[in-house]
This record gives sequence, C-alpha cells and structure tokens, in this order.
Amino acid sequence: MNLAIETKKLTKTYKTSSGMQSVVKDLDLEVEKGEIFGFLGPNGAGKTTTIKILLGIIDGTSGEANVLGRPAGDIESHKRLSYLPEKPYYYEHMTGLEITQFYASLFGIKDKDLCVNLLNRVNLGNDYNRPISQYSKGMQQRVGLAQSLLNDPELLFLDEPTGGLDPIAHIEIRDLILKFRDEGRTVFISSHELSDVERICDRVAIINKGEMVHQGRLDDLLSGGRIEVTADGVAENLVDKFKGDDMTLSLRAGRLIADLPDTMSPNEMIDAIRTGGGSVVSVIPRRKRLEDLFLESVSGDNLAKGRVTGKMTDDDKKADVKEEEVSS
Amino acid sequence: MNVILSIAKTTIGEAIRRRVLLIILLIGVLFLVIAPGLSVLSARSSYTVLVSFTLGVIQLTSAVIAIVLTVYLLPNEVERRTIYTILSKPVYRWQFLLGKYLGAVGALGLMMALMTGILVLVFKIMQAEAGMDVVMTLARAPMMYFVQMSLLAAVAMFFSTFASPIVNFFLTGGVYLVGTLFSPVFQDIAGNNSVNAMVKTAATVIHTLVPNFAQFNVQNTIINSGSQLRSEQMYYLQLVAYAFAYVAVFLIGGMMIFDRKEV
Ligand SMILES: Nc1ncnc2c1ncn2[C@@H]1O[C@H](COP(=O)(O)OP(=O)(O)OP(=O)(O)O)[C@@H](O)[C@H]1O
Ligand SMILES: [Mg+2]
Repeated sequence: MNLAIETKKLTKTYKTSSGMQSVVKDLDLEVEKGEIFGFLGPNGAGKTTTIKILLGIIDGTSGEANVLGRPAGDIESHKRLSYLPEKPYYYEHMTGLEITQFYASLFGIKDKDLCVNLLNRVNLGNDYNRPISQYSKGMQQRVGLAQSLLNDPELLFLDEPTGGLDPIAHIEIRDLILKFRDEGRTVFISSHELSDVERICDRVAIINKGEMVHQGRLDDLLSGGRIEVTADGVAENLVDKFKGDDMTLSLRAGRLIADLPDTMSPNEMIDAIRTGGGSVVSVIPRRKRLEDLFLESVSGDNLAKGRVTGKMTDDDKKADVKEEEVSS
Repeated sequence: MNVILSIAKTTIGEAIRRRVLLIILLIGVLFLVIAPGLSVLSARSSYTVLVSFTLGVIQLTSAVIAIVLTVYLLPNEVERRTIYTILSKPVYRWQFLLGKYLGAVGALGLMMALMTGILVLVFKIMQAEAGMDVVMTLARAPMMYFVQMSLLAAVAMFFSTFASPIVNFFLTGGVYLVGTLFSPVFQDIAGNNSVNAMVKTAATVIHTLVPNFAQFNVQNTIINSGSQLRSEQMYYLQLVAYAFAYVAVFLIGGMMIFDRKEV
C-alpha cells in the first residue's frame, strides 16, 4: 500500500446552536507517498478540521482515517510526521533556538547542532538567539518549518505555510517545500495560494463545506486549457468568420486577441490572419488555471456569477462588442 | 520522563514571566517588608503577631498565585494553538497535563521560596540575635504551604480540563475556602456519633471529596513553639502523603477527562 494518508467516509459533526453541523462530510482522501498534495477549499471548508483529525487532536465522528498505515493519532506514527499549524504561535520568552530545542526534546532529541543546522536551513542563522517576541511573522513561520523538520519526517502537514508572508519569503518557502519532495517526503499542504499550489503540487483535493468536490492529479484536473492567439493588422471580417460559442475574440485598432479552446487547432485562424494581410504576434497555450477550477468547484455559493467559470458573461461580451465598435 | 520535564521547564519559564503573577507576588512581598512596621501597632507580643501576619501573607499570596497560574495553563495552550504542535509530536496527553502541572508547581515553588527568603531576611533584620533555629522554624510553615498549594494547583488543573478559567477560578477558590474554613467542622461532624446518620454521611462525603486544607496550617506549632508536637516529623510526613494522594486522584481524573477532550 502506497498511501501516506487515507480516509474513508470521514465525517465530523459539531453540535451548534442551530443543530448538528457536519464540518467534514464523507471525505475520501488519498494521499500517495512522496507527493506534494494540495488541500484546498474556501474559508471554513473544513481543512484545518480535517488536519486535526488526521493528527488525532480531535476525533472524527464517523468514518476512518489512516496516516502512515496507522489509525490517525497513533503516537508511533507521530514520530514519523510533523505539523506546522495555521498561524503558529510560540512561547514568546524563548529564543528561536530554545524553542527548536524544546520541540526536539519532545522527540527525545538532545542534539543542539541539529537544531542550529535546521535554523540555518530556514535562513534564521543570524536570528536564532533572539527572543521570538522580536520575530516577524515570516521569521516565526520559519521557526515553524525548522521545528517541523526535527524528526526527519516522512510526512509533513503544513496548514497555510505561506499565509501572511511577503513574496520573497513565499518563494523561499515554496522552494523549501519542493526540496522536501526531492528528499522523499510526503507533503500535505492546505493553502489559499492557488498559484503556489499549482506550481508545486502533484495532486490536489478541493473541498467545499466539508465535501470533496475534486481530487486528482493537477494535470488531469486542469486539462481543457485554452490557446491565445494575438495578431496585428487584422481585418474586421475575420472576427465575424470565427465568432463561435466557445471562443472569445476582441479586435481593437487592428489588434486581435483570440481565446480558443485547446481542443481546436489554431492553424485555420492563423492562416486566415496571414491571408488577410495580418501578422501573428504570438500563439500562447494557456492551461486551465487552478483558480478557474477552484471557483468552479465552490460556485453556486456566494460568488458573483461571472467569475465562476472563466467564461464570459453577457455583460462581458457586450463590453467586447463595444470595443470592436470603437475600433471600427 | 524527558518529555514531561521539558514541558514543565517551559511552563516554569513562561509562568515566572507572567505579569499578573509578578504583580501578585510583588504585593505579597511588599506586605512582608512593611510587616515589622505594622506590628508596632499591636499590643500583643510583636514576635507572635509578626509571625502569624507574615505567614498569613505568604499563604494568601501563594493561594492566589496558585489559582491564577493554573486556571490559565491549559486554556492558553489551546487558544494560542501551542498545544497542537506539541500533541502532533509523540507526546501523550497525560504527559502534557503532568508536565504542565509540574511546571505550575515548580513556578509556585520558586515564587514561594522568594517570599520565604524575604521573610527570613525581615526577621533577621528585626531580631539580630535570632539564631538558625528560629529561621528553620519560620521556613517550615511555608514548606507546608507549598505542599498545600501543590494540592490546590492539582484541583485547579482538574477543573481546567472542563471548566473555563473564570468558572475554574471560583470552583477552585470555593474548594480552597471550604477546605480551609469548614474542613475541621465537617471532620468533627463525621466523627461524631450523636448526629443524624444522613448528616453524618453528607459530612463524610464532603470531608472526603474536598481536601482538608486547614491541616496544613502548622502556624500554631510555631507560635507556641513550647508545645512541640511529639512526633512532628511524622505529622509532616502524613500531611505530605495525604496531599500526594489527593494530587494523584485529581491529576488522574483530569487526565481521563483531558484524554477525551476536543481541544
Ligand atoms: N469546535 C467547533 N465547534 C463548532 N464548529 C466548529 C468547531 N471548530 C470548527 N468549526 C467549524 O467548522 C468549519 C470548518 O472550520 P475549519 O477551521 O476546518 O475551516 P478551514 O477550511 O480550515 O478554513 P480556513 O481556510 O478559514 O482556515 C467552520 O465553519 C467552523 O466554524
Ligand atoms: Mg484553516
């Protein structure tokens, strides 16, 4: 069996003032060993709750959860995994090094050099002797990452590891996570940074209101991309010729920007542009974006319609038409 | 064991920096320092008054510190999510709870040692001729208070596994008051054959559930140092054993609740 995490019909129900509320519903997660797995969903979807169940911090109401081949919460498996909580906090009176040594002691590790090395690895080499109370958010997050590597874990749970970080810290942490995979670790990330997830994750699950909407390889989930053709000196009649359902065209001052599904070959359009005396500036294949899939998955809730599918609404189309009129 | 001690150590480090505790401690110390001035006002032998006043200060201050310190230990861990990181390590919940408790007791010990030190200093200055024996006698009462406060902390720890800090404050405070003021009364009723059987049973139950805090007040033996208890050592040992047994019961109860608790 090559699953690092497996849940079957995992459900968590809370009693609230308005009755029973299922925060996690029949969740079937499958995270393979050695992959970076993105766990996505809007605020309140149940991501942190799921992670807490997987760590045994809380118990599921029903269903099954296995982590590293053992029931969730098993202390033996805790020796082989680690967790970076959402917005972590550390005892403020301690220095970065002291807190890392404290967490090390929970594994029975007394090796100070190991702690120093890990802090160097997360670029805290100059600051680990300062008290945490003087750390910026990014520095605290790095302490969190350092402590999460203490036991050389097979599996890492990172709950919003780049939340609130500046773009540079972002990229650093992203690269660090990619290295984790190179080192053979499994990484389970919950994140709202879809561009990060898209760049580093092998597979993702998207949940909404505690229920699984999508789970699979990113490449599979994001098939059905688009191709963007840009050309100059294009005549008006070309737009009429290609106008179709699944295609958007905009023409302004002779510049055409056409967006077509990647199931359609752009050759015909390119030929027509060139025959009509125009010149093709670029042909760019655009993968369907994770953002599109995400918005699709959680649509029907509270999102403004037009944003949902990435397709254009009538209003948008009207706006485009206007553009054409202006240009003619 | 390592795990428990690590958690205890961190807890001590944090507790002795808690501003509210330091303020309470400071107030206690302040009273100890001005005590000699106050005793001048009294007609009774100033030594007796000074002893009972200063020991009372230490006891009251320690009790407040013990409660305020302990009721927030678990809730703070949950609120700041530090507990999640710790429980995701190979740490059992009972180890966490025990570590927190020992940390509370450790911090309490340090603060009480400080007050006792100041007490001894005050007496040294007051009565330059006071010998080592007086000092030892004076230090003994706070030692028993320490045992008492460790028991009180265990009560607070137990309640904190299910009650909010404010509720816990009153619960533990209530147990302390009942255990201090009424324990002798209940004990008396429970041992009296002439009372109604139901009253007697009720008194026995309360006397058993609520630890007898009053018995740790060994002040009297100090004040009337002439009337030494014959087997004093034995008496102290019994008290420690009594406290230990109650601490164990409260902690084990707390662990059982905490083990099932959603944090
Ligand atoms: N102890 C609890 N009792 C009742 N409801 C709870 C409890 N804990 C969490 N919830 C509810 O569960 C839902 C999911 O919360 P969770 O923290 O898992 O969301 P999330 O996906 O991590 O969101 P975010 O992206 O904002 O971090 C929320 O609606 C929250 O209000
Ligand atoms: Mg969350």
